Amino acid sequence: MNPASPAPAPAPAVEEILAQARRLREGIPGDIHEHLVESLYADAGRIAERSVSRPDRPARPTFDRTLDRIVTSRVWGLPVMILLFAFMFWLTIAGANVPSQWLAGILVENGHPWLRGLADAAGLPGWLRGLLVDGVYLSTAWVISVMLPPMAIFFPLFTLLEDFGYIPRVAFNLDALFKRAGAHGKQAMSTMMGFGCNAAGVVSTRIIDSPRERLIAILTNNFALCNGRWPTQILIATIFLGSLVPAHLAGVVSAGAVAGVALLGLGCTFLVAWLLSRTVLKGQVSTFSLELPPYRPPRLWQTLYTSVLDRTLLVLWRAVVFAAPAGAVIWLVANVRWGEGSVAEFLIAGMNPFGLALGLNGVILLAYLIAIPANEIVIPTILMLTALVARLAGVGEGAGVLVHADSPALVGEVLRAGGWTVLTAVNLMLFSLLHNPCSTTLYTIYKETGSARWTTLAAILPLGMGVTLTFAVATVWRFLAG
Amino acid sequence: MWALLGLGLAMLIVWPRWGLLAWWQGQRERRERELREDALKHLLKTEAEGAAASLLSLAGALRVGDGAAAAIVAELERGGLAAVEGGRLRLRPAGREIALHVVRTHRLWESYLAERTGEPEARWHRLAERAEHRLTPAETAALAAQLGHPLYDPHGDRIPASGDGLAAEAGAALEEFTPEQPFQIHHIEDEPETVYAHLLRLGLRPGMRAYIVSRDDAKVHLWADGAEYSLSPGMARQLSVLPLSGVTAAALRGERFLHELPAGGRARLLGLTGACRGAERRRLLDLGFVPGSLVESALTGPGGDPTAYQVRGSLMALRREQARYVRVNPLPGGAA
Repeated sequence: MNPASPAPAPAPAVEEILAQARRLREGIPGDIHEHLVESLYADAGRIAERSVSRPDRPARPTFDRTLDRIVTSRVWGLPVMILLFAFMFWLTIAGANVPSQWLAGILVENGHPWLRGLADAAGLPGWLRGLLVDGVYLSTAWVISVMLPPMAIFFPLFTLLEDFGYIPRVAFNLDALFKRAGAHGKQAMSTMMGFGCNAAGVVSTRIIDSPRERLIAILTNNFALCNGRWPTQILIATIFLGSLVPAHLAGVVSAGAVAGVALLGLGCTFLVAWLLSRTVLKGQVSTFSLELPPYRPPRLWQTLYTSVLDRTLLVLWRAVVFAAPAGAVIWLVANVRWGEGSVAEFLIAGMNPFGLALGLNGVILLAYLIAIPANEIVIPTILMLTALVARLAGVGEGAGVLVHADSPALVGEVLRAGGWTVLTAVNLMLFSLLHNPCSTTLYTIYKETGSARWTTLAAILPLGMGVTLTFAVATVWRFLAG
Repeated sequence: MWALLGLGLAMLIVWPRWGLLAWWQGQRERRERELREDALKHLLKTEAEGAAASLLSLAGALRVGDGAAAAIVAELERGGLAAVEGGRLRLRPAGREIALHVVRTHRLWESYLAERTGEPEARWHRLAERAEHRLTPAETAALAAQLGHPLYDPHGDRIPASGDGLAAEAGAALEEFTPEQPFQIHHIEDEPETVYAHLLRLGLRPGMRAYIVSRDDAKVHLWADGAEYSLSPGMARQLSVLPLSGVTAAALRGERFLHELPAGGRARLLGLTGACRGAERRRLLDLGFVPGSLVESALTGPGGDPTAYQVRGSLMALRREQARYVRVNPLPGGAA
């Protein structure tokens, strides 16, 4: 401030000036802010034209034009996309198998008994050993060994495609489809990421800059069957549906069933997006824009580094933070006694009637309740609880210890002993698709939206759909079965 | 036990400020205040139109019986807000100030809904009708500042400044225009809501440049920003327009829009149409869709939509309904 500047003019004069400014503004046709933006651009354009020299080449290289023609063409666009993603999924599943088993071997099969021995040698009381080693350690180890390898393969592959510039072209190709549901073409990308991990999928909606479409993408991401749920689907389909048909058809039937569930998830994505955009999200701002950046050779090492660090480790860290307490809870409900049996048995007996009405059972409901941090540990929890309730000897290593399923046949035996039928299996597959997101994802949704309201909706919406659908299937099933 | 329960119930009903009785009383008072404010608004609007308000016109505007209207007027007189002079109702300064505040808040709120939310236009009026009674003058001033002190609301009505008068509607009726005479849509009346919603669905918005193609007893055929509309005379009466000088209907007809550009075609950008507003408009401006930019239709999606345009060095995909907002001047020899 210049101290010599004149004192503020007396109020009447200021008001006179303001009134005059207003009159002058009224004399300008149109919107003054817009004139400002336009003249800014015009000035910037003039300055750039005068002072920036460009090498003599077209705005878009021929390579880009040709590639764009192919990947967005009516004929080749879709097949290229499907092949590329099929290859990616295949590479993820095939590639993750070995390190997953290796990690499970180290952390679960060898690490767990070793830690138990260590705890015994240290003279820890039995309950403390159970809580820490059988509860906290085992479920954390489980989540890591199931989750880490596929994520460490899938996300870098995805990031490479993104870096190359292909992903925006997918959004461009699929926008017409998403538009019908009131969503944004870029949701194709967050849904794809959701097949890897919903928490990562939710984070990836940041690229959608239109608030309404971004919320749609966040709230429907859970309908993309995530990496933690694929193994459940495949296992249950193999055991219960594959066995319904002759052996040579078993593979086709179970694979078809899993694919059907995944497609049902996509259907739900579009249906719910359509409903949301016409009801609760009607009042949110919506603007479409999609930039197709020039193709770039992907920066391999940088991509690997950032994708492992940003996506894989971050999501894994959050999952571990949630899984460790869940391990404690799982161990406690199975071991703390309440009257005749454990808390788990008490809760299961209480939830059983409701579970049976849904074509499920109390064990499944309790497992989904206490294994909310990670879908990966739902099946081990179900196995443990089933063995506990049915008092099966020789399955697992006791109450509260997650059961490592060595073979589908063994799992099938345990579950059938727990009273499972084909209906239970079908409804578990449906419920595995349609239930609240895991707590890692919910926490991420809360972080991304900053709203408890949207987070609640994200939890209640799929859960309500799952309860309704399983109940309907169970009712019709029982009616048809007489 | 029962006594305790009874006491609890009684407290639930008569508790000051939070009890059911207090809540009900508050609701009634709010409703009465809203009616008074609506009455003042009616007086202000009739005054601005140069007409006189009567008890009858007031009862009609508020949709209440004559008796209720008389009670409201008596209440206004007691508060020194309005006066009855020879059967005519007149605003007094204190009443005018309140009425101006209500109108100002209504129009600002509609601007807010248009600029900052995605609420569909057909709902703006209803939401603003509620908000106009809730905001205090300080809140309204803060809202105006936040929106950059807009002069006009999204319907094209002037937003009165505090201490200012309410200007009469500036637009002229469509009936006064002859075919081929260019004009700009200035205002679309938002009551009744169904007719308004229908006009919006057709795609008509304030700010569009238009002319009458032909007119007969049953229909008015309108050209507006690249499309033709046929309206019943009743619907046409909802539009008020301003004459457009410096352009001819032929020049308007010659205008092209971005979605009409053939694949590979190039054009010079002329501007955005008046129908494109709020966040959508700012977004397009931000992306470089400003007058003078060169655009090239570079790539069409497999389903024919969206289309990617090369503009200011980047490749931007727009949906068809967005491309309709962009007026362009096609350049020859672009299609390659």
